[in-house]
Amino acid sequence: MVYITSWDEFVERSAQLFRADPDSTRYVMKYRHCDGKLVLKVTDDKECLKFKTDQAQDAKKMEKLNNIFFTLMSRGPDADVSEVTGKEQTEAQPGKKGRGRKQ
Amino acid sequence: MVLLQLDPFLNELTSMFEQSTEKGTVWVTLKRSSLKSKVQRNKMATAGEPVEYRCLIRATNGKKTISTSVGAKDHQRFQASYTTILKAHMTALKKRERKDKKKAAGADKKEGSKKP
Repeated sequence: MVYITSWDEFVERSAQLFRADPDSTRYVMKYRHCDGKLVLKVTDDKECLKFKTDQAQDAKKMEKLNNIFFTLMSRGPDADVSEVTGKEQTEAQPGKKGRGRKQ
Repeated sequence: MVLLQLDPFLNELTSMFEQSTEKGTVWVTLKRSSLKSKVQRNKMATAGEPVEYRCLIRATNGKKTISTSVGAKDHQRFQASYTTILKAHMTALKKRERKDKKKAAGADKKEGSKKP
């Protein structure tokens, strides 16, 4: 099992794996409250990437990763992810702010 | 394998987390699927119809499995609820106390006030 130590590398490689084969790639999350451990796995049944942690800050990062995967999976692998924050901004935008026209 | 609607799925997921607090694991799997067979998909592709993809979400506590399917329009709402559930339940993880992780804004402020 390939355990990745760097979070950013895990995210980068998972996204790549998904884009390469969106139909067979899956993302699995395992949480054990009694042990206080979280393990993430992304695999396309040929290659497998895993990430384990017991840190609360990684849970927050995982939430962002969840958002990325949700977007990729429901909208399609070519969906613009931009680390999710970019995506949320573009969606919240229509007409309210930034145009400057106050009449 | 129980296929549920969005909201019942979220409720069941919450109760799964609550039940496995003392002992047990919760697994959640995310996968893209069009929910159609390969033959149908090929037909749709050649006929020029856009294949609609949905996100299949499965959760299990080892004994019981529940699942739901989320489309592009439900995904925002599901995402928000899902994040809330996870945040509420993943409380057993350790908090980082090291000073070298300055990216955590809260820790930064605390250190700022401690140091003279």
